[in-house]
Amino acid sequence: MSIAKNNSDSQEQYQKIFIEQASTAMAMVDNNMCYIAASQSWIKDYGLEGKEIIGRSHYDIFPEIGDDWKAMHKRCLNGATDICEETMFQRADGSIQWIYWDVRPWFITENKIGGILMHTGDITRQKEKELERTRIEKILDKTNTIARIGTWEVDLITNTVFWSKIVREIHEVPNDYQPTLKASENFYEERVSRTRFINTVKDALIHGTPFDLELEIITAKGNPTWVRVVGQPELVDGQYSRLFGIIQDINKVTQSEKALNKAHSELQAIFNSEALAIITTDKNGIINRFNHGAEVLLGYSTAEVVGQKRPGMYLFREEIIKFKNDMAKIYGKDPSTFDHYVDIPEEDLNDTREWTYRRKDGSKVPVLSNITAIKNGKNKNQGFIAVSNDISEIKKVENELLKKNELLNFAEQISLIGNWQWDTLIDKVQWSQNLYRTFELDQETIELKFDTYFSFVHPEDKEIVTQHFAKAANEKRFDSITHRIVTTTGKLKTIQLLGKVIANEKGEIIEMIGTCQDVTEIKMAEKKFKGLLESAPDAMVIVNEKGKIQLINKQSEKLFGYTPEELFDQSVEILIPTRFTPKHTAHRDGFFHSPKTREMGEGKELYGLKKNGEEIPIQISLSPLHTEEGLLVSAAIRDITKQKLAEHKLIEAKDNLEVVAQKLSDQNRQLADFTHITSHNLRAPVANLNSLLEIYNYTEGEAERKDLFNKFETVIQHLTLTLNTLVEALKTKISDSSEDLEDVDLNQVLKNTKEILSGETLKSGAIITSDFSKISNIRYNKIYLESIFLNLVGNSIKYKSDERKPEILISSFIEDGKVVLKFSDNGLGIDLERHGHKLFGLNKVFHRHPDAKGVGLFLTKTQIEAMGGAISAASEVNVGTTFTINFN
Amino acid sequence: MKKLLKACIVDDDSIYRFTMVKTLESTQLPMDITAFSDGEEVLDFIVANLDKDSELPDVIFLDIDMPVMDGFQFMDAYLKIKDEVVKNITIYMVSSSLDPVDIAKAHKISAISDYIVKPVGSVRLKSIIEALLSEKKEAS
Repeated sequence: MSIAKNNSDSQEQYQKIFIEQASTAMAMVDNNMCYIAASQSWIKDYGLEGKEIIGRSHYDIFPEIGDDWKAMHKRCLNGATDICEETMFQRADGSIQWIYWDVRPWFITENKIGGILMHTGDITRQKEKELERTRIEKILDKTNTIARIGTWEVDLITNTVFWSKIVREIHEVPNDYQPTLKASENFYEERVSRTRFINTVKDALIHGTPFDLELEIITAKGNPTWVRVVGQPELVDGQYSRLFGIIQDINKVTQSEKALNKAHSELQAIFNSEALAIITTDKNGIINRFNHGAEVLLGYSTAEVVGQKRPGMYLFREEIIKFKNDMAKIYGKDPSTFDHYVDIPEEDLNDTREWTYRRKDGSKVPVLSNITAIKNGKNKNQGFIAVSNDISEIKKVENELLKKNELLNFAEQISLIGNWQWDTLIDKVQWSQNLYRTFELDQETIELKFDTYFSFVHPEDKEIVTQHFAKAANEKRFDSITHRIVTTTGKLKTIQLLGKVIANEKGEIIEMIGTCQDVTEIKMAEKKFKGLLESAPDAMVIVNEKGKIQLINKQSEKLFGYTPEELFDQSVEILIPTRFTPKHTAHRDGFFHSPKTREMGEGKELYGLKKNGEEIPIQISLSPLHTEEGLLVSAAIRDITKQKLAEHKLIEAKDNLEVVAQKLSDQNRQLADFTHITSHNLRAPVANLNSLLEIYNYTEGEAERKDLFNKFETVIQHLTLTLNTLVEALKTKISDSSEDLEDVDLNQVLKNTKEILSGETLKSGAIITSDFSKISNIRYNKIYLESIFLNLVGNSIKYKSDERKPEILISSFIEDGKVVLKFSDNGLGIDLERHGHKLFGLNKVFHRHPDAKGVGLFLTKTQIEAMGGAISAASEVNVGTTFTINFN
Repeated sequence: MKKLLKACIVDDDSIYRFTMVKTLESTQLPMDITAFSDGEEVLDFIVANLDKDSELPDVIFLDIDMPVMDGFQFMDAYLKIKDEVVKNITIYMVSSSLDPVDIAKAHKISAISDYIVKPVGSVRLKSIIEALLSEKKEAS
């Protein structure tokens, strides 16, 4: 046992030394996979320099070793051998290694396994080269086919020409075609290409100049094609006797080149564009590209940034944190430590979002930025590229749109209007926000159908709504409809729908769209207005601008006797007597021109025309009504028949009063006359009597007493005369003037007067003439008339001028429908300025005439006035007097 | 002679004139009594004697109601010439009228000393004349 043990110990030791000295990577582990020995190559290949590995578990040193390998190791520990030509080994640090291995057990004794030996080689470099070669081969392969390059050869010594398959294809000749030098020349387009080709080939063969031409050939099938011909002359025995080269169909190349060029220039354009800011970072997060667009957007110059700055200089911390959190979530990493440069080395990060960039000047700009990982050939992230777009304009427009949307919403809310859309084919209804509000329906309700709307329709209105939509569908025209709805909370509302029916080209209805307005308040206002109209005490007629009656109230029906239906849309002139029509039309136009509340036809009498033709006096006040349908005029009409009657009565009463007042003032004047008469004419003689009595009392002589008695007699006689006159006058006043009226002949009266005054006439030699030709008979009190004649003619004789014979002219005529009588004389005349006021007073005398008593004119006036007439006088001293009597 | 009071009666009523003269005489005071039958007559007399103190009356008893020129018309005319009249004439308006209009009208004229209602009693007349006489005595 001990020898055996020694043996095995020394074998193990031997192996250990052998392994440590091996030039290839080898390692020896025990049954627990703990290192016993490892070669220098092993340590170098796996980057274990300076690490103590002996005695440590292989799995501790390579924690990245997967379960498949562990299983393989276990099999080897049980005696199996595992050989792998090449495999990819991804190290914990992310690097890739290509290795081959040979793993087999080692034996302590013949049957006892002591562990395993692992022999590996790093073939990463070879592998990479191999991979590259394969890739190039593949690319070439592809390029050849895609680029259609063929090879050719000309041997001038053997005078043979070789064309590859693709050359034949380019020339569109069959595969078995045998080209000759001459024949190949002839494919070139004869005018330009052929000459160039022949000359170039000649030159190449003389001077050994290689060539690269683009020429046109005409294929066997007659198609012109552009080809690139590259040739290389070959020196054989000091002579250029061989030419070889390629020929490329550049029709297609040109195209793809063009496409490539285009793509390239597009890319370049994109990179150079001002509109796009393109910023890339290297794997350390340092900016390495900063295009013109970025300069324009951020205000930094490329030189300031590239190789120095990180994107953090123009980003806001919160947005970076947000971005990192989002990315960490996507890739299942810890957000608190997440770094997209470290934690996602191969992931295809591609994120598009809005960022706010900070410009050099500190201002902010909103951008839409796409961040993509930049890969190297090994699919490793080499940094990121951020392509950003200034979206401030978009933002502005977006904000504006938001604002406008909001405004529309407001407008809809304020006007209580919403809009709706009904796709009739699939019965899908869309409502604007405000409609939900109107119907008090939860805005989450999206599945709207026609029945959703119809379920809100007031039960009594369902019939008309159904009919309305049927009619709309039928006539392809959506008229306005107003109906009631019951909202979700049970509120009764009135809505008005306006709409449009949309049909496809076949005339089939596909959609109805329209608006819906909550007119509850308008309806209420309308109801209130109508209520107000009906309760107005006046007849109200509302007329539109064309003068057509739009609305009347009950009072109007009563006043004019028409029903509202009879008057609706009739011209308002139907209510006006035809004689006013032309003027009214003009006035009406005038009112609409400058509408303001006013009385109509102020100061004029207005009349209305009833249905039965009767005219009624009316009073109208007009006021303008500004409504949605335009300007209306409301006319308040009042029947003033009663006022008119009252007015008439008033005028009558006034006239009567005036008469009474006249009478009263007459009586007043007469009363004043009587005051005067009692004061002067009655008290004077009484005063005289008193004085005489006093004197009589102290007079003693008989003769004197007798004289006093004479005086008493005179006074008493005077008093008696005065009293008689008064009695006479009073009798005249209180007697009924209509009594004792008779037809009086003026000639007869004058004749009587002349007879009475015959003595005076004779004595004075007066000449009395008369002219009663115009009117000779009047109805009058004959006694009065005789008294008037007697007084006036008598006066004329009594107050005659001493210098001339009295001449008296009496004439009658009619003036203003009244009988006038004139007495003119050539007597003394009266100074009317001095005495006019007492001319007709009692006992007024104006001349120192012994017979003047002041009674005649007083009585005359009393008589004339009692009969309703008037007397006036005109006179000039020493020329004559004219009395004029106006009989009633 | 100096103590003689010149009294003047203006009235168209002859009976009144007679009773006035008789009543004035009955006072037995020194008076010279003249009478006119209307305003115009007395106005003409005054105008004719404007500067003759001895001819002009000391007192006038003026009636209202007279033909030709009544009492008020006389006053209007007299006031126009009053400044030319050398004598300060006392004027009494005498009327049978109790009409307040007449009384108020008379009182408005300052040149009228008083309004006397007819009949003028002898007692009243005597005191007026005595007062005027004593005034006249003082003045002289």
